Amino acid sequence: MEVVTKYSEPELVQLLRQRSRHVFSYLYDNYAGALLSIIRNIVTDEELANDVLQEVFVKIWKQIDSYDSSKGRLFTWMLNIARNASIDTVRSKSFQNSRQNRELTEDVHNAGGSSETKTDHIGLRKLVHNLKEEYRVLVELSYFQGYTQDEIAKMLNMPLGTVKTRLRTALIQLREIIKP
Amino acid sequence: MDIKAYIETGVIESYVLGMADAQEAAELLQMARKYPEVQQAIDAFEASLEQQALASAVAPHAHVKDSLFTILAPEFKKEDHKTRLVAFGWSRYVAAASVILLVASAALNVYFYSQFKSTSTAYQALLIEKNSLIADNQQMQTKALDLYNNMQMMTDPSMIKVSMQGVPGKENSLATVFWDSKSKDVYLLPNKLPQAAVGKQYQLWAIVDGKPVDAGVMDACTGLCKMKNIPAAAAFAITLEKKGGSPTPTIDQMYVLGKVG
Repeated sequence: MEVVTKYSEPELVQLLRQRSRHVFSYLYDNYAGALLSIIRNIVTDEELANDVLQEVFVKIWKQIDSYDSSKGRLFTWMLNIARNASIDTVRSKSFQNSRQNRELTEDVHNAGGSSETKTDHIGLRKLVHNLKEEYRVLVELSYFQGYTQDEIAKMLNMPLGTVKTRLRTALIQLREIIKP
Repeated sequence: MDIKAYIETGVIESYVLGMADAQEAAELLQMARKYPEVQQAIDAFEASLEQQALASAVAPHAHVKDSLFTILAPEFKKEDHKTRLVAFGWSRYVAAASVILLVASAALNVYFYSQFKSTSTAYQALLIEKNSLIADNQQMQTKALDLYNNMQMMTDPSMIKVSMQGVPGKENSLATVFWDSKSKDVYLLPNKLPQAAVGKQYQLWAIVDGKPVDAGVMDACTGLCKMKNIPAAAAFAITLEKKGGSPTPTIDQMYVLGKVG
């Protein structure tokens, strides 16, 4: 029997800090799927993505005290944990495999900026594919692959200012696409 | 400062998506505190990002949650149990009701068992009483039958009745011999004889041709006591002898004497 109580964000945070198993379970039931969709955008291997999801929830549990509501929503905080954990996983895997084995994420840089896709994209990444090519590449590299703007400028042989401006424009467009 | 233009720079999206550097983030938060429109724009993008993510949710493998909760099991607060108990309130009431029913049932069992015990004891007592009544009744029937038989014998026309009176000094004593003239069987009725002392027994003598002949010792018997068969006798007498009887009578211990005819 499931209790159909809805928790507000401050309640969730407070109860998580009080180490409530019940509320942690509620958090998982309500957000694991959404977080997994963002993890799957970065870590395309399903098994590995599920491992990352588990790691992300352990981090949420351990780091809930460091969450600062003045800096954003709880979900935004969790989303960023998921994104960072996913990028770390892909990077360590890529390093281990020296990129010889199956690629764990779509490598836009190596694909030379072409629009061809290797996986069925879901969620945010699917929406990013609706952006114009020059913007899409920047979002892919920065958001899904975690490269800094400096790194991207060097990779694409583009001035840092241009990377910055284009990326900002891309994000504004993305915002409009996401808008319900 | 043109707030609208600031909102449209994309810094908000960059920040929310975790791509802004520390300086940009600090600047934005300062702006948000100063201008409600900025905060509203942040909130709106966060909300739509969350909505988008929830809408494209992917079901995780079931084992992820299991192993997650196994890993974190030692970290959960203990009283959390309470929350679950509240959630499962109905089962708590069912459990409480079960316990009450169990206790009530156990109490009834004890009550019924004690009832059964006392009824069973009473039944046993009645059973014993019934058996002893039956035994008494059988004894009475036997006695009645004996008495009836005795009466039949006494009133038989061939029966000779010899009344033995107390000898001088024993005038209160009385006994009667019933002597079957056909079968020559002798029956003794001790009407009135003192209780024989311990180790002593009354002995009946038949006087035949002036001499005493042993007719048997008197045992405890109801009504008539069957004695020895005596073919002929002129008189009968009773003496008190040592237990088992004597070959010859002790004359000074004679109690009663009666002549035949």
